[in-house]
Amino acid sequence: MAVTYERAGVDAASRSHRWATFVRNNGSILLIYTFILLLAGTASIFSDTFLTPFNLVNILRQSIVLGLFAIGQTAVLLTGGMDISVEMVARVVGLVVATLFAAYGSDPSLILPLAVLGIGIGVVLGGINGLLITQTHAVPFIITFGTFFILRGINLAISTTPIRGIPDPYLRLYDAKIGIVPVNVIVMALIWVAVWLFFTRMRPGRNIYAVGGSERVARLAAIRINWTLLSAYVISSGFSALAGLFLLARTGVGDPNAADGMTFQSIVAAAVGGISLYGGKGSIIGTLGGVLLLTLLSNVFNLMQINIFYQQLLLGVIVLIAVAAYKSKSPRSV
Amino acid sequence: MKSISLKPKFLDQLSSFRPSPRFVHWVDLAGQWAAPIMIFIVLIVAAIFAPAFYNPSNLRTVGIQVAVLGIVTVGQTLVLLTRSIDMSVSAVLALGAVIVVQTEAGNSIVISLLQALAVAALIGLANGFLIAKRQVPPFVATFGMLVFVGGARLAYTKGQASGTVPELLRAISIEPLGPIPAALVVWLVVNVLVIFTLRYTRFGRWVYAVGGNPGAARYAGINVDWVLIVAHIVCSVLAILGGLLLSGYIGYVDLRLGADYNMNSIAAAVVGGTTFTGGRGNMFGTAAGVALLIMLLNLVVVLGLSIHWQYAMQGAVLVLATALQGFRQFLLSR
Repeated sequence: MAVTYERAGVDAASRSHRWATFVRNNGSILLIYTFILLLAGTASIFSDTFLTPFNLVNILRQSIVLGLFAIGQTAVLLTGGMDISVEMVARVVGLVVATLFAAYGSDPSLILPLAVLGIGIGVVLGGINGLLITQTHAVPFIITFGTFFILRGINLAISTTPIRGIPDPYLRLYDAKIGIVPVNVIVMALIWVAVWLFFTRMRPGRNIYAVGGSERVARLAAIRINWTLLSAYVISSGFSALAGLFLLARTGVGDPNAADGMTFQSIVAAAVGGISLYGGKGSIIGTLGGVLLLTLLSNVFNLMQINIFYQQLLLGVIVLIAVAAYKSKSPRSV
Repeated sequence: MKSISLKPKFLDQLSSFRPSPRFVHWVDLAGQWAAPIMIFIVLIVAAIFAPAFYNPSNLRTVGIQVAVLGIVTVGQTLVLLTRSIDMSVSAVLALGAVIVVQTEAGNSIVISLLQALAVAALIGLANGFLIAKRQVPPFVATFGMLVFVGGARLAYTKGQASGTVPELLRAISIEPLGPIPAALVVWLVVNVLVIFTLRYTRFGRWVYAVGGNPGAARYAGINVDWVLIVAHIVCSVLAILGGLLLSGYIGYVDLRLGADYNMNSIAAAVVGGTTFTGGRGNMFGTAAGVALLIMLLNLVVVLGLSIHWQYAMQGAVLVLATALQGFRQFLLSR
């Protein structure tokens, strides 16, 4: 009897200890989901329309674009870098695909090849970013800032006006529904699960954490540093390309102003969700929280009919508070 | 231990290559002298392909643009020398223009000028405080400030371009003073002051010490935080000065005013030989970098190319310069 009693005691103690450890290790994630619940609770009190199934599904659907960008950005941030070029990659993919659709008379049979081509463009652009960064040892965010501007010039050279001529079946993909839930929301949920598995269970994903945590230790552990860095930028641009294709289906035109401001929002979403900007720390679940929080915020702003100009100011205030609350013991770097 | 490499062959060769001292020396020289050499080449190319570049009116335009970007870039270089960065210059620059342009009819322009300078100093203080005291990564802190200041400006102006640019500013920006525009004289004065400070005062040496090795600077009894904060205040004040000259030159203030100055100031400083790792670079290089960048952007116009290629030009210059400086820094550190 005594033995079992003692064991039960040990278990109880270790269980509470385990809870304390869990809370300590996942503080930022718990914090952000608490924020989401608080915000949702407040919104449902002040607005009748907020808690309707239609609005909730709508929020999930609105979060898809930011989610795709944020997943890619998370991969790069975890290596200690930053990808500024994401929104321009999405834009260039959207414009190229729209131009080709228009050039070949909106042929529906071109949907699959052009989607593959779009992702391919993203992968190649990510590869260029990655090669420039790994081979010249330059600061990642400046290099991607430069490619941002190069791509912006290319975008404006392709078109300064929206491109029409996207085939109807492509547009219908966006509206497809199972019951009340759109198919794209379900697919996005599967993508989040797959990305979570990638970062927690698969070797390339773990390598990204290792390189971001300590490049020296990762090198000693025989992890290919350059290859891992390159893969992070390819993931980032690949997901941006996916976002570009999705935006094409949502707006129905190749928009030369698509995805405006998404670079910054994706960084904020990941950072608010607890991804360390020095790399190596944070969870994709936190990024999901950041994405949901930002989408929820803009939804609530719209329901409360706050002027768009004040929305920008409020976003700035939130970012500054988040930044000021940031305290790190890591060494200073640009 | 021999590991099986899945990398393409050329990557292996690049990452394991041992540069000869002579090669390192040449890359170092190229990094230092890239801007002056390129200016020389561009001048010759312009003489052959675009003689219109040498029109007095075009040269005057180039002069004023060099002055505006030059003043902003002096501040940016100062901040880069301390191993920090300022992404908020474009927002500060536009805010200064808005404050001065919206002067009430009866009020003195001197008061609104003082207001603008005070606001700039406050923003710089906030940047420096976040970076030095809260150890926020400089990029993130100043990017947050960019969103905040931009939002504040939107909320203040409601997105409308209004007001008139005071005569005094018009005069300072475009009136010729002898053979050269008055704005260039302002730029020269700023340069003389800053170069004198960097060379012959204690503060100037501290700037280099803090950027070169913050830890050693701290042990040497330098107040590192204070140097950082002062550098950021000077940078913001110079940015607002540039904004005033720019609004005087253009004659109106709109939403897009100065949006490119973040990128251009960083690119010009880096082209001029300033590195992101701090402590390396000087104002002569910066002046050359500014002149080169403005000349290239002007050439796009003079050659009759689409204006969108300016973006691609900016991006290409930034990527090339960053890659060169990053590679130079990497070689020198081996």
